[in-house]
Amino acid sequence: MKAFVVDVAKCTGCYNCQLACKTEHAENDWMPYTKPQPKTGHFWCKLEEHVRGSRPKLDIYYLSRHCNHCENPSCIPACPEHAITKRPDGLVEIDQEKCSGCRECLAACPYEAIYFNDECGVAQKCTGCAHLLDNTDLIPRCVDACPTGAIKFGEKEELMDDIEGAETLLPETGCRPQVYYRNIPRQFVAGTVYDPESEEIIEGARCRLTQGPRGWDAYTDDFGDFWIKDIPVGIYDLIITASGYKLKAFYGLRTRECQNLGDIAMEKE
Amino acid sequence: MLTKDKFKPDKETLVSFSLMGPESGGLCWVDSKDGKIVRTRPYYYDKEYTDANCNPWTMEARGKKFVPMPKVLITHFGLGYKSRVYSKNRVLYPMKRVDWDPNGERHPETRGKSKYVRISWDEAAQLCADELKRMKREYGPEAVLCESDMHGEGKNVAPSHGCPNRLLSLMGGYTLQMRNMDSWEGWYWGAKHVWGCEPVGEQNPQGNLIPDMAKNCDSLLFWGCDPEVTPLGFGMHLPTQICYWFTELGIKSIYICPEFNYGAVAHADKWIPVLPNTDAAMQLAIAYMWLTEEQYDKEYIEKHTYGFDKFVDYVMGKEDGVPKTPKWASEKCGVSPWTIKALARHWAKRTVSICHGNGGSYIRGPYSSEPARLEIMLLGMQGLGKPGVHQTKMIEWNMWAKNFPVPFTPEKPRMMPHAGDPLRPIKGDLPDEINMKRFTLNPWQQQKAPELCKLFEQLPAPTQFIPRCLVHKAITEGHAEWYGMHMFSTSQVPDKNNYRKPTNKYQFEKIVYPRPGQSRVHMIWSDTPCNVTCWNHGNLFIEAYRDPSIETIVEQHIWMENDCYFADIILPVCTMYEMNDIGNDFSSGVFQSIYKVEPATEPVGEALTDFDVCVKICEKLGPEYVDAYTGGGLSEEDRVRLFYKVSGCEEDMSYEEWAKKKVFVIPCKADVQDEPAGFYEFYKDPANHRLTTPTGLLEYSSSDIEKYMPDDPERPPVPHWIEKSESHDERLSSERAEKYPLLLMSNHGRWRVHAQCDDIVWNREIETMKIRGKDGYQYEPVWLSPEEAEKRGIKTGDIVKVFNERGIVLCGAYVTPRLRPNVCYVDHGARLDPIDPGHIDRGGCINSITPTSMISKNCTGMATSGFLAEVEKLSDEEMEDWKKKYPEAFARKVDPDAGVCLEGWLEGGIA
Repeated sequence: MKAFVVDVAKCTGCYNCQLACKTEHAENDWMPYTKPQPKTGHFWCKLEEHVRGSRPKLDIYYLSRHCNHCENPSCIPACPEHAITKRPDGLVEIDQEKCSGCRECLAACPYEAIYFNDECGVAQKCTGCAHLLDNTDLIPRCVDACPTGAIKFGEKEELMDDIEGAETLLPETGCRPQVYYRNIPRQFVAGTVYDPESEEIIEGARCRLTQGPRGWDAYTDDFGDFWIKDIPVGIYDLIITASGYKLKAFYGLRTRECQNLGDIAMEKE
Repeated sequence: MLTKDKFKPDKETLVSFSLMGPESGGLCWVDSKDGKIVRTRPYYYDKEYTDANCNPWTMEARGKKFVPMPKVLITHFGLGYKSRVYSKNRVLYPMKRVDWDPNGERHPETRGKSKYVRISWDEAAQLCADELKRMKREYGPEAVLCESDMHGEGKNVAPSHGCPNRLLSLMGGYTLQMRNMDSWEGWYWGAKHVWGCEPVGEQNPQGNLIPDMAKNCDSLLFWGCDPEVTPLGFGMHLPTQICYWFTELGIKSIYICPEFNYGAVAHADKWIPVLPNTDAAMQLAIAYMWLTEEQYDKEYIEKHTYGFDKFVDYVMGKEDGVPKTPKWASEKCGVSPWTIKALARHWAKRTVSICHGNGGSYIRGPYSSEPARLEIMLLGMQGLGKPGVHQTKMIEWNMWAKNFPVPFTPEKPRMMPHAGDPLRPIKGDLPDEINMKRFTLNPWQQQKAPELCKLFEQLPAPTQFIPRCLVHKAITEGHAEWYGMHMFSTSQVPDKNNYRKPTNKYQFEKIVYPRPGQSRVHMIWSDTPCNVTCWNHGNLFIEAYRDPSIETIVEQHIWMENDCYFADIILPVCTMYEMNDIGNDFSSGVFQSIYKVEPATEPVGEALTDFDVCVKICEKLGPEYVDAYTGGGLSEEDRVRLFYKVSGCEEDMSYEEWAKKKVFVIPCKADVQDEPAGFYEFYKDPANHRLTTPTGLLEYSSSDIEKYMPDDPERPPVPHWIEKSESHDERLSSERAEKYPLLLMSNHGRWRVHAQCDDIVWNREIETMKIRGKDGYQYEPVWLSPEEAEKRGIKTGDIVKVFNERGIVLCGAYVTPRLRPNVCYVDHGARLDPIDPGHIDRGGCINSITPTSMISKNCTGMATSGFLAEVEKLSDEEMEDWKKKYPEAFARKVDPDAGVCLEGWLEGGIA
């Protein structure tokens, strides 16, 4: 069974995957695998940008998204024409001749991975570059074009080392996606601690973030910065202590959005 | 019927995706079928090239190994280039401006407004030949200005630039548009006076810097550097991988730039958002901290520097009564005093190098000589040349001829001739000992292929030149004066020890245009139509192109864009995908290679190579011109074969074998990593390893400036913070800032190589490339911080005016926390789409409103970032008014996905 593994930590956001996919499919006819993609407007491989925090504590990551070639695809039962099938190698394909253009599959896919081609009147999506796999020595174009090796594709059993600890998007759908993601960052709380009187940063200040009994500790570095990373969404308290200064507290920090607390002035004791 | 053949290309050819011009690297495969390009994909060394010992290089540091991927790391430029080959913007056939009549009224005033009609190649060539002859007869050959530069497709047998120069030389000379040091302005006019460093003022030697940094650095300062942008159009993604490796090794990446740039997104540990073009203030404060806290290498300063005491006097305020404290700097540069102090101490306590992708906006602003000089002085205070203390370039590795920052030095040097002659200095301006014969054959090559000698014969040179940043003023005023720019300094050929003769003193020689006894310019022939979008004050270029003194403008170009709209005759050129060539990858980093380029598709329309365009005109001038121009009748295939012969590769692989294999991969030299990195020898023994400055030392007060221009307030002997002076008034403290309160910054674009690649339709779907306005037009983004956007009631997607006294540019708002307040940011290079030429542009051509003045009065370069402007939401009423006032501009067809297109400029549409 085929699978993709995307290492988010290795993705710079160069868009090569999205663009290679477009150059392969836009206006190229790969029937019987797929009709040509419209020149613009479709994103069978789509780089999704996530901007978190605020200046100057920003953290941006990208998800290279395509059809998940699910083990339990919700598009297959949704198609009244039985045009969508899972190939023996696991890739999910839409038979472009059988497709009646009813768009049921677009609504059924929780990942919004299926597009409708108005010119041809058919539903289309990532084919896993099956036309290349079956007929040439080439690999999926997004994998080929990635300059850092962040996207891998192959037999799932051969990718198990990479899949270990990886996650899939929206696992609650029950679709069991076969595109796995490594290193998707979680939320963070960050800031810079300084003394406004001396106009100096404070190094080594203890920043303790708590949520009930759970706690995370960070100490400010030589820029006065602290970052507490990879915490779940929730409500937290943050206590900052530094010797010679009054304690500073932030209660009820909500991390649905990542929190940059900015330059935090400490008052002398 | 399903057969495997349907999915296989019927043709596989090689082409470069780099767009640097000469020595462009980055080979990739092009698959085509039925004459149409299907895809471009990376070249794999291990797949295609297994039978020779290429000695692949690796690096080791701190117990970790770096192994480059065995493929050419293609960029989006290569992936999407077929969209350029088949662009709606292609010039399909020769064209003439409808109201330009060489025998009657020429209507220079309607250039940029009037449309074009198709003419035959025969008529076009005749018109050009007749005009060239008339110029020579009426004014002298120098009445023709040849605009020919460097960047573009990497072609050698019929180069993108420099073909017209050879023909004009055959006609007895011309006026040359000399490229100013656009990519290196501050380094060239400033840093060179601190450390010499031919050719451009950035650190040279670069040898082994990256492995040395990997072993020794604690932190790296990416100062105005974006390793995920500038390298892409020139080399590839190797810097990406190197930056990841630095992080893996535990080296901190600190980004100092107004915007959270693309490199910062991927690699930054710390971002210090400084105001554009205020780095000099922060640098002075760092020096102040080091001096007051005695955190610098005093012993090194003693032995390695000249004039340090004068520098100290300025920094400490002895000279002007103003100590350059962090608080003083903070008000100028917008970085808190505590962060400046922390950076100064962090730097002093650790081993730190600085990385550049040439510098971008950091060294392309008003008075850019100053931050560039100060940076070198800070490195000096921490012992420049010590292990891990360097200035390292992430691009242009080809430029260093011998020692590369990564150990991919070729086993022996390979040489690639180039059948164009773009930037030759004027005979007599420089002594012969400065070897400027970059685009000719060396003695070995002459002996190896005597058949080629005629093609590379040194014909009469241009007889006068105008620096590119002054062309508009020279035309509109009929006169210009400046200092220096006798040469494009990267063209100096180093000797066998990789030594280039110092050229600093030429910066102080005054030159006047027109030269005594020579005519001013009356005709322009250009293969470089991007002055309006890449140079200083593009709107003044528009005025110049409409000047009555300019009787004829000929453009030869692949696409209908920018300066082309002001031409009287336009000649269609083919892309590198449509011709035979020999490609040379000297810069992309895994290996160097020489490869065979073959046409992947038929020429589009009636396009010819730049070389053949000139041959067409030669045919109208007479058979002797054809013979001389073609070197005695050498065909394109002949040139490929002979260029290979003199490349230095034939000794290792016969032409026949190469033609079959298509690539010769040049093995790497084995023991380069043992060679000392960077300035190590100068660090160890400055007396015996002198710099090329007059004193041989790092000059904190320039002895040349002391000697030649001691009273220049804009570039004094010791670098200064210049708030405002004769040339520029572009600070937030200016009175002008009441009307134009934002500092506009402009980088090399992520999605363009200068003016190239604005029309790749798939890139244009990405928000940082284009923003579709509510009218459906794809606008160039202007970045704004949430604070500045809110003040103006602007949201992402709004159509906005970016403006100052020099004009209005329409953009699409991109509101993002990636930019600091007080700033707006637009990349340069978007194609002009004039609503009112010279005043209002819809295409996002931001350089149309950049400052006119040079870097400073004696520094002949341009200042195209860090200037004042305002951003305002465009009201529907104002847009409607413009539509009424300029109906012809709005009636011009624009493609919904590709933007400006040929059809919009053709009378009656595509014929």
